[in-house]
Amino acid sequence: MLKITDLKAGYAGSEVLHSLSMQVGDGESVVVLGPNGHGKTTLLRAISGLIRPTSGRVEFDGQIISNKRASDIVAAGVIHIPQGDLPFPELTVMDNLMLGAFRPDAWRVRKQKLEQVFELFPTLRERPNQLARSLSGGERRMLALGRGLMSKAKLLMIDEPSLGLAPFLVENVYETIRNIRGMGLSLLLVDENADHIAGLADRIYLLEAGTLIKEGGADEMLRDEALLSAYLG
Amino acid sequence: MEKLFQAIYGGILYGSIYGLMAIGLTLIWGSLRMLNMAMGALYVVGGYLTWTAFKMWGTPSLVAIILGVLAAALIGLLIQVLLINRLLGRSSFFNAAMIATVGAAIMIESAALLIWGPRVKQMPPIIEGHIKLQGVVIQYQGLVIIAVAAISLALLGVFLRRTRYGLAIQAVSQQMDAARLMGIPTVLTFMIVATIGAAFAGLAGSLLSSIFFVAPTAGYTPLAKALIVTIFGGLGSIKGTIWAAYIIGVLEAFLIVYFGAGFALPVLFLFMILMLVIRPSGLFGLGEIQRL
Repeated sequence: MLKITDLKAGYAGSEVLHSLSMQVGDGESVVVLGPNGHGKTTLLRAISGLIRPTSGRVEFDGQIISNKRASDIVAAGVIHIPQGDLPFPELTVMDNLMLGAFRPDAWRVRKQKLEQVFELFPTLRERPNQLARSLSGGERRMLALGRGLMSKAKLLMIDEPSLGLAPFLVENVYETIRNIRGMGLSLLLVDENADHIAGLADRIYLLEAGTLIKEGGADEMLRDEALLSAYLG
Repeated sequence: MEKLFQAIYGGILYGSIYGLMAIGLTLIWGSLRMLNMAMGALYVVGGYLTWTAFKMWGTPSLVAIILGVLAAALIGLLIQVLLINRLLGRSSFFNAAMIATVGAAIMIESAALLIWGPRVKQMPPIIEGHIKLQGVVIQYQGLVIIAVAAISLALLGVFLRRTRYGLAIQAVSQQMDAARLMGIPTVLTFMIVATIGAAFAGLAGSLLSSIFFVAPTAGYTPLAKALIVTIFGGLGSIKGTIWAAYIIGVLEAFLIVYFGAGFALPVLFLFMILMLVIRPSGLFGLGEIQRL
């Protein structure tokens, strides 16, 4: 479904990703693990079109998307839930969610989508008129996930779902992502530790200094504690 | 008492006009983080087209006003497509875009001079007659302007809050990256914003063509006032801009009624400078967000 070949990307002359190749299959759940500053966020930003790859190719459902605009990539069904949530601070929870359904095909079914999202995140249902900037960290994360799910996503990409959350909320978020997985989406998660991804990932890639250095089935990789601790610290 | 009433009425009237002029500046700042210095020229376009439609083509005044608004909107869109869109993403975008719009303004004024000549034009009143309240003469046409401004600003508010593209405009101004991740086509959104802003400046010019003369450079004063209003209210904040428009309008009217017209502009600029010193982001400004 998602196929990346020899992707190079970075910012203003400094290359962050060096010839990276990977794929995510239909309905598959893939986790890219890597320490901070090694290119996980850049990878997602390059896929979703926030930055333009300098070379290489990203294909989705057989179509090349690496030369497309972010809005067309969303229209193709690739949804990126960004690091730091990036809510629209001066808009209400409801308006934030509605913007998640901006593309016409999602907009038409926004009522049904909203019901699904509210079922997944009952807290959001209770405060539709609250401004996003006044939400707590946990609520913001739910809003970001819910906003992403308002779209007609085929592939959901999530950037460090536990970043900045209070410890007691972290397991909660991963539980939610496991539920999202059950909705038949493909998933691409980037994360800096492997503590919470058991039962969530089908396959794992290890990312170091802008290149993927190892790939394998989640069960066998997660069992290899020596490798993970050597690598992620 | 008479003076007080005069000042309040005049202030609301000025405020209506400033609101129309400034709303475009603030919308465009909100989504593009640039100053559109062609707003004054678009105001002039609205005035000339309304005058031409009414005097030369003999259309009813309502049609003349609509044509004035459409002409300004179209030229605003052209400025966006032909100039601003080509500058997007450059590191010097703010300066380049501002200078490009100054250039566009000069071209429009020169074209107006060629087409309509140096002699000023004036529309007859949209609607004749007046009432006297507390000894103050209130022209019906002033009331029409106040009402049209209030209604059109309210409609803009409904558009921004209730429609898909209205929400998209707000999204783009608040969180650009997230807006792109929602699938919002940003360049199209910029074009919509530029067109709406220009339409409002055109509406101001069109409505005022029956009160002030229309001349190629008639847009400079409204542009200067609109800049004061947007900086006072907070660039990018629609709520702040509308508040500031009426506050500045009433303040100006008070200065004129009690101290004379010569005091108005210097004191307003003083106010703007004080605001910049005390609260640089204005009443409800977006603050220092660098993005494009």
